[in-house]
Amino acid sequence: MIDFSGVNKWFGPLHVLQDISLTVAKGEVVVVCGPSGSGKSTLIRCINGLEPFQSGRLIVDGADLANRKALRALRMEVGFVFQSFNLYPHKTALENVTLAPIHVRRLGRAQAEERGRALLEKVGLGDKMGSYPHQLSGGQQQRVAIARSLCMQPKIMLFDEPTSALDPEMINEVLDVMVSLAREGMTMMVVTHEMGFARKVADRVIFMDRGAIVETAPPEMFFTAPAHARTRDFLGKILQH
Amino acid sequence: MLGGLNTRVMMEYLPEIWQGFLATLFLSAASFAGAMVLGVIACALTIQPLRWLRAPAVVYVDAIRATPLLAQLYFLYFGLPRLGVVLPEMMIGIIALSLNSGAYMAEIIRSGILSIPRGQVEAGMSTGLSYLQRMRLIVLPQALRTTVSPVIGQTIVLVKDSSLLSLISVVELTRAGQRIAIDRFMPVEGLVATALGYLVLYYALKSAAGAWQVRNSIPGRG
Repeated sequence: MIDFSGVNKWFGPLHVLQDISLTVAKGEVVVVCGPSGSGKSTLIRCINGLEPFQSGRLIVDGADLANRKALRALRMEVGFVFQSFNLYPHKTALENVTLAPIHVRRLGRAQAEERGRALLEKVGLGDKMGSYPHQLSGGQQQRVAIARSLCMQPKIMLFDEPTSALDPEMINEVLDVMVSLAREGMTMMVVTHEMGFARKVADRVIFMDRGAIVETAPPEMFFTAPAHARTRDFLGKILQH
Repeated sequence: MLGGLNTRVMMEYLPEIWQGFLATLFLSAASFAGAMVLGVIACALTIQPLRWLRAPAVVYVDAIRATPLLAQLYFLYFGLPRLGVVLPEMMIGIIALSLNSGAYMAEIIRSGILSIPRGQVEAGMSTGLSYLQRMRLIVLPQALRTTVSPVIGQTIVLVKDSSLLSLISVVELTRAGQRIAIDRFMPVEGLVATALGYLVLYYALKSAAGAWQVRNSIPGRG
């Protein structure tokens, strides 16, 4: 479903992605963690073409990312959830969710709204359809953002630190939605430090540092017997509490 | 100073003042329309990536902002005939005001567009919206909201700047007021009559802006 081979990216002199090779199969849930500045956000932003890269090959759902013309069609199949939600403030929750299905998928309004309502119900916001983003809490906004991506019925969902901007008491309501999505068989790549989430649903955990993938392992192995010193060091820092 | 205002003379000249008021209203409206068209085009050219399309728009905006309106007005008034273009003064005035305000409008619209967080544009991209759809559905509706106040502000400036057209003998509100001063040696009466005309236009624009803001605000937020 997602296939990186030898992908390199530089921001000026900074080598932010170093020879990335990685394959994610259909239905797989992959968690990416690592210190800030390690390139994990850049990595998943490459998958839907938000970041270009300079060398290597990246195939997503059969489409080559080097072909910028095919990007729009690809983005219809790949959902992306941002750390800062990025809802449209001038649209209600339901309008946020139905905008792309109506204008990109050319769905009729009634049909899009039916689909949108069902998704907002599913993420627990059945009573917030007509609310504007600024009337919602952070956790609610992020759940609307997830519903917005799902309403395009994507084959892959990407999450870029979806709970990092949330107050602690709201983190679980977002993670619960993500867990149920994972259990329904969605192909997911999630940049997060929520190790509980990784333990619960991840098929693999990837540790990145300084632009390179240092370690890849199933969660139980990743947490109990990490192979690399840098992974141990990182886990020691985030798991000591 | 205003105590002995000769209202009888002012009433006598009311038809002239009214004509001047209508002329100011007309040329302001025409210039506003011209300025918006030029502003939108210049703004669109400055935010798109092709350098050779961007350069002329940047030069236009800079040249206008760097020079006084009066100089621009005289430049067109004396310059156009030398190119063999002979136009009525009113037309030259509308062109000058449109060109002048258009540059400021371009900057106002541009800052409105740039005020929309990049993340929203990326969210639009990520769901497959095209560039034009992102502009039409996400960026412009919000940019317009933040732009209305400064656009009205610039329009109020435009209305007052139109008084400069009296210098190229366009008969508008200021020129009409000067008639009282010249015919009857009553400059204060002329100026008060003129000022009242501008005041009416100012309050009309201000209340239009207010009404628009109320009607188009996002519920629960200003």
